[in-house]
Amino acid sequence: MQSLRPLLWIGPAIALIAVVVLWPVVVLVHASFQNIASDGFVVGGAGFTNYNDLWHEPALRGVVVRTVIWVVAVVVVTLLVSLALAQLFNQRLPFRRLARTALIAPWAASVMMTALIFRWALDPYSGAVNIILHALGLVKMGSNTADWLGRPTWALIWMIGVAIFVSLPFTTYALLAGLQSIPDDVYEAARVDGSGTWRTYRLITLPLLRPAILVATTINVINVFNSFPIIWEMTRGGPGYETSTTTTFMFILKQAFIGESAAMSVVNFLLVILVVLLFLRATRWREQVTR
Amino acid sequence: MRRRLSGVRVAVLATTLAAVAVGAGSATATTASKASGAVTLKLVVADYGTGPSNTSSKYWQGIVKAFEKANPSIKVNVTTISWTNFDSQVQTMVQNHNYPDITEGDYFSAYAQQGLLYPAKQVLSNPSNLLPVFASQGTYNGVQYGMPFTTSSRTLFYDKKLFAQAGIKAAPTTWAAVKADAAKIKATGKIGFGLPLGPEEAQAESLLWFLGAGGNYMSGGKWTINSPANITAFNFLKGLVSAGDTEPNPGTVDRTPLWEKFAAGDVGMINGSPALIPIIQAAHVLTSSQWASVPIAGEHGPLSDTLGVCDNVAAFKANGHLAQIKRFLDFAYQNQYQLQFDREYDLLPATVSAANALKSDPTFGSFIQALPHAVQYPSNTAWAQVKTDIQNTIGTAVTGSPASVLGNLQQTAQKLGG
Amino acid sequence: MSAVATRVGAVTDVDTPLPSRRLRPIRRRTFVLSVLAYGIALLFLLPYLEMIVTALRPHDQLLAANLLPTHFSFSNFTTIWSTGFGGNLLESLAIAGGATGVVLLVALPAAYYSARHRFRGRSLFLLLVLATQMLQPAAMLVGIQREFSNFGLPATLSLILVNAGFNLAFAVWILNAYISSIPVELEEAAMIDGTSRVGALARVTVPLAAPGIVTALIFTFIAAWNEFIVALTLSLGLPTNHQPLTVAINNYIGEYSVDWGHLFAGAVIATIPVIVLFAVIEGRVVGGLTAGSIK
Repeated sequence: MQSLRPLLWIGPAIALIAVVVLWPVVVLVHASFQNIASDGFVVGGAGFTNYNDLWHEPALRGVVVRTVIWVVAVVVVTLLVSLALAQLFNQRLPFRRLARTALIAPWAASVMMTALIFRWALDPYSGAVNIILHALGLVKMGSNTADWLGRPTWALIWMIGVAIFVSLPFTTYALLAGLQSIPDDVYEAARVDGSGTWRTYRLITLPLLRPAILVATTINVINVFNSFPIIWEMTRGGPGYETSTTTTFMFILKQAFIGESAAMSVVNFLLVILVVLLFLRATRWREQVTR
Repeated sequence: MRRRLSGVRVAVLATTLAAVAVGAGSATATTASKASGAVTLKLVVADYGTGPSNTSSKYWQGIVKAFEKANPSIKVNVTTISWTNFDSQVQTMVQNHNYPDITEGDYFSAYAQQGLLYPAKQVLSNPSNLLPVFASQGTYNGVQYGMPFTTSSRTLFYDKKLFAQAGIKAAPTTWAAVKADAAKIKATGKIGFGLPLGPEEAQAESLLWFLGAGGNYMSGGKWTINSPANITAFNFLKGLVSAGDTEPNPGTVDRTPLWEKFAAGDVGMINGSPALIPIIQAAHVLTSSQWASVPIAGEHGPLSDTLGVCDNVAAFKANGHLAQIKRFLDFAYQNQYQLQFDREYDLLPATVSAANALKSDPTFGSFIQALPHAVQYPSNTAWAQVKTDIQNTIGTAVTGSPASVLGNLQQTAQKLGG
Repeated sequence: MSAVATRVGAVTDVDTPLPSRRLRPIRRRTFVLSVLAYGIALLFLLPYLEMIVTALRPHDQLLAANLLPTHFSFSNFTTIWSTGFGGNLLESLAIAGGATGVVLLVALPAAYYSARHRFRGRSLFLLLVLATQMLQPAAMLVGIQREFSNFGLPATLSLILVNAGFNLAFAVWILNAYISSIPVELEEAAMIDGTSRVGALARVTVPLAAPGIVTALIFTFIAAWNEFIVALTLSLGLPTNHQPLTVAINNYIGEYSVDWGHLFAGAVIATIPVIVLFAVIEGRVVGGLTAGSIK
């Protein structure tokens, strides 16, 4: 009886995770080996046909390369900017809480709505961003130069910008939390040593922030890898699949090619696990994080 | 004429009764368990409106109100879905086993193939009143499942004001003239030719150009997506785009915003349907004498056969509501509702009787007379999947290689069958 | 994995004022930093200001190429209700509220027990939670869709379960760390006084862990409120005016026009509650993340 006692407390959590999170993985993997009609009915087994079709998808290579660029660019820039922001917003400022609350807006708002407002502001004929750039003489309204989202490379750059924008609040707050957990006496000691500001930051603050950086980065990698609304609302992954990542590609395939979409998901899934494991291993998270 | 129709009605009434009896037999399990309670029909429709003031939900609610009054035992729930999401949402609903009873919008012949749909003759008292030219698209194995509800045909709209400013005398009838005129309009600082090759309806725009070169998606039951004619068409478009005679990056531009730009007086020429007319009128920029619509330009001369598109009603078997569906569809297909729909959205009717009533209408007359020559999308069961692929990728042919983009599409289509 | 939530010493600011001899340069520095901080804060708000401005544009100036319209119009906010937007709000409230409730009921006991007891399978359980943290609904959408389509549950309930399930890990994780930082002696003292374990949990631990609980719940609520891809997939059987907000707003992108006015009016209405919620607990978010106030 005693050994069953924990189940009373943690059983519901396990059950919920099993039903909602783990079982879909099983269904997903199973679906990737089935031949599924576009109305969702299973026509029969498919062996590796779905994977084979996916492999021969002309767009796949570009999609995968783009996904890597997308994840690395967003996560790295987010971290660097957040380190600076956390430092700034950790200062004693008048009405600091007000400023911090503003910082949180992109986190509170739905990513999908933030993406829509950027799409609107980038409209080549009436978008606010283009009005300003036009006034500065950088673009011409209605021309190719103002059509940021119509050109795949620029569309990707802008979408990376939006992804960074929405990732900053969480990351900055995580780092702020980390900063506040550094005891004052550490700094006192450094001051006594006569260390300069930068030196103090590099030798004391950064190492002590390491756990916070680790956690924030891991969560960002997962979030950005699976990010859907930004690309969906700004370009739908187009033209063609030229601004698609694996996640939006999977979603587009799902409309009519369910089995192949499932195969894409499985690949996506393995990729994200691989990336996170590599990252955790590279940063030796166990030493940092286990209590 | 009237007499013959009523004769048909009598005959149909007999089959109706028989069908009701059969339907009642198979449906007893579901309806009986709900005791004497009302049956609720799930009606899923595409939204043709330009905003909340004329959303299709209003149109259908009007019908439903009258229908429920006449049939107190049947309730109808209306779900309205915007067009850009219609395909994916209906496909997802069906994938979720969350079946509607009736859909109005795009039609998926694969569902007929899967045995999910009632044939037209079971759910309409008078299926022969549906315009015959649109029957093939809804037909699978010789049986019609998809029932056209509203139709439209495509023509070339042009802005006379811009044409005059650019010094152009007449609307173009050949591609060479299209290119020359677009270049002149571009020189005035406006968009020469509006070319919506974004995912929303790229399959329609592309087909209009294929037809101009004598091509099509299918020929003789075989996919011909990368036929020389079709490649010629996209090579022409590629030249048009690279010369800057269209809006920038057509592969990312949907029909919706571009039609609005035409209405705002910013586009010289664009292929459109009658549904563009209310948008022009709402914008209050072009008066009715400042734009016109003519047959679409082809490689060497105007198209004699244009693309005719119909949106279909489909009736799903899964909930076993045969008798109720039939009651509702007979009600909704009445002339008054057909005409109300056409007036509301400037689209064309889908029934013979309603088309006859509009034949001499000043706005619709010419479109209706062109309807019998309309070219259709393929009726192949793989079309829904192929169309999805076309919508997503064909726009890249104007920046990349037409032969390889169309070649990839052809490969996918052949793999899917037909 | 409690790195973010590791216990801390004081939550006092690092940059406490230094001796008065150096007051002047500090003031100038504070000024520069303030300008910088408020400039950045404004930058973060700009897109949402643009959202409000667009929602307030008169219909005929929607596509005008100007930063501000000549006058504002509230008609989008009054006419949006006739599109069934009220029902969309209620649906999102039901889903986000339901998911938050489920998370509270399920995560708190699990986090408490695993923080206080070393039982067999504890590390396996924490590993499971950690692994869930790495999974997102987008990655297994096809699986979720196919599983729930077989359940035949109402869409609202499905969405509550999915949102609860995918936010559970974060809640357990934060609560676990938070409760660990509460000295067990406090509970034991209460239990010596004759309170049961559950009583001690309710009277001692929960109040002390309140900031952590609030943080976890608000995370869940906001995540569910803003969730898009699963809602877009599972809510489709619902009538238009019963679909969640994100799906409803996405639906304003229609065939013949994008209804930008209503779209952004809806977006403004949908965003206000969460920003207010965040503003109220902003101080505690950091507090919650750092498991601060217990000494």
